[in-house]
Amino acid sequence: MFKRIWTIFKRDLKVNVKGFISLYILVVPILIAVLINLFSPGINDTTVSLALIKGENNTQVKYLEQFAKIELFENVDQIKERVKKRDTMIGIVRENDKYYIMTEGNEPQGIVDYAKLLNSLYGLDIQMEDTNGKIIEFDRTVPPLKKTLVNTSILFISILSGMLIALNIVEEKVENTLSAINLTPTSRLTFLLGKSLIGVFLSVYGSLALIFITGFETVNILQLLLILLVTSLLSILVGFIQGLTNNDIMTAAGSMKLLFLPLIAGVLAVEMLGDKWQKFFYWNPFYWAYRANDLILSQSGAWVQILKYSGIVLALSGIVYLFIAPRIRKGLE
Amino acid sequence: MKLFYSFVKELKLASRGFYFYVEIFMAALILAVFLFLVPDNFEKKGTEYIYLDMPSEASDIFLKKILDEDLDGKVENIKIKINKKEKNDLLYTTEDKNIYILKSREDVVYMADKERKVAAVVKMDENYKMSYEYFLQGYESDRYKNLLKIINVESSETLEATMNNQDVRPISTDFKFLSDKENMMPSVLVFNGSLMGLFIIAAYIFLDKQEGVIKAYALTPSPVWIYLMSKVAVIMVTSIISSFIILIPIMGTQPDYILLLVLLITTGFFSSSLGLLIASFYKNIMQAFGAIYAFMILMVLPSIAYFIPSWNPSFIKLIPTYPMLEGFKSVLLGNGDWSYVLTISGGFLVAGMILFLISNMRYKKTLMR
Repeated sequence: MFKRIWTIFKRDLKVNVKGFISLYILVVPILIAVLINLFSPGINDTTVSLALIKGENNTQVKYLEQFAKIELFENVDQIKERVKKRDTMIGIVRENDKYYIMTEGNEPQGIVDYAKLLNSLYGLDIQMEDTNGKIIEFDRTVPPLKKTLVNTSILFISILSGMLIALNIVEEKVENTLSAINLTPTSRLTFLLGKSLIGVFLSVYGSLALIFITGFETVNILQLLLILLVTSLLSILVGFIQGLTNNDIMTAAGSMKLLFLPLIAGVLAVEMLGDKWQKFFYWNPFYWAYRANDLILSQSGAWVQILKYSGIVLALSGIVYLFIAPRIRKGLE
Repeated sequence: MKLFYSFVKELKLASRGFYFYVEIFMAALILAVFLFLVPDNFEKKGTEYIYLDMPSEASDIFLKKILDEDLDGKVENIKIKINKKEKNDLLYTTEDKNIYILKSREDVVYMADKERKVAAVVKMDENYKMSYEYFLQGYESDRYKNLLKIINVESSETLEATMNNQDVRPISTDFKFLSDKENMMPSVLVFNGSLMGLFIIAAYIFLDKQEGVIKAYALTPSPVWIYLMSKVAVIMVTSIISSFIILIPIMGTQPDYILLLVLLITTGFFSSSLGLLIASFYKNIMQAFGAIYAFMILMVLPSIAYFIPSWNPSFIKLIPTYPMLEGFKSVLLGNGDWSYVLTISGGFLVAGMILFLISNMRYKKTLMR
């Protein structure tokens, strides 16, 4: 049976290479990784953007440049136009001998306070030489948001593989190859498992490519593989059921959309919600996979924890399987 | 008229298929999640871990100052697990911060290093001079570090008084604001409607290709564009229905529903046309999959910028989903920014038409093959 699964996988790979699909699928994780690398340096900058008048007060511009992003304009009207634009930009404008802060009116209070603070520090003439603060750093270079992006992308890729499996199966159904298989000694289950391998391959390859390009190659690869495997299991399961129960690509594609919802919910729950809300997401396997990946990416995951999390994902997938097993059996008949 | 009949026929066909109901179910599910699980506003309180390295008389004064800002005026005795040991520490809860006062410098270093929390040591020397040590992870920006170095040079009273004296002049004051929950709606709309439209239309076309519908269509006198347009219209109707299912219960009467409809139609038209064009380069969905996926990832980027106001690089604004998000936000606010919404709607309509024309030309040549 395993030999047949392997043969089907090899044949699939060959067909897909000829059909250019794998080219794209191979490129997508690299594309994501490059995008993440391009963006993450700027993501971490917690500061305000200030608009000032060019040449009016160079000392002030130099001073504020130490703490904020500065854009310079010819006159007050230009600053006003800029501040009114849709992103957040705050003007600092001189009137007589004093400066006032020009806002659009819909900025978050924190950003306005930040601008007020910077203007106050300048007004009080507090210079860097006066410092009474010492900064001690732990030399970590990966900003948390980059980690979040990489983590989310790994889960995304695993859904992508589920989608691939579903589409793969539906296509075979539409082209009636599935009935043709009945005439060969290969059972339908073997055939379908063979079809699913390409999904697992994609998930493992994509995630590894992603972490190597984004500079996470020092993480514990074994731990990552374990989590990848259990999450792919879930994606395969869902891809499988979608592929078997849907007779056309439309429905398969539409219902795969459902998978994005728990994924996004899991990420948002961990990143944005407080402790008391977490328990509402315990049912969500992506939530656990995300947390496990987070530990792995920050290199603070002990095996006990990783095993616990992958156990939970596995158990949840098991429950999903129990629910859909009768439908899979029916679909295989 | 032909277009209308064709559209009605497609709609009937769609309502018999599963897909239509999957969309409605999905919308209901999103609605349920937002209504019952997502809080109106997320907690955004910062958390700080501080050790006071000073004589007890001085630290008493320091703590008294924090206590004045505490919401209930009471300090909480809490237990924190530090390096596998439970320790008794103090927690002050102010309006915007949770401040934990720890008992030793090692504890603060542990929290900063291992738990990656914001942590600092406040020191006072024999001349009563204050100094501060901040523990940072290393990825923070230089601008932020510079600010930390001088933020406590003046006493907090002087700084606060100066800040309160700042003259802040908003250009306009009649802005409305969205709650955190409502603020997530624009990205739901973009994702659920526009982005999926891209994918679904491609699936739609390939389905018809496989089932031979297209070849059959070639025998009729109708031009190809009517066929394509009625497909696009079905996707738009589905996305409008599902968007309204989600929006009406959550947003109530606040949004401009007419503007919303305009924006949903134009953005839906744009992304379906884009999907059509992408699909025209491929033989089946499997081949188109990678390209569509790459486009979707690109289109998701502005959503990230949308939730992080301080990150807003200018190239993000070139991605079509950026104006979509801003447009939907404007509509949901109901602030009557007609000109902006209509401008971008016009833009999407024109861009959609161009894409549609190109796709039409390509399909005329390739559809029958």
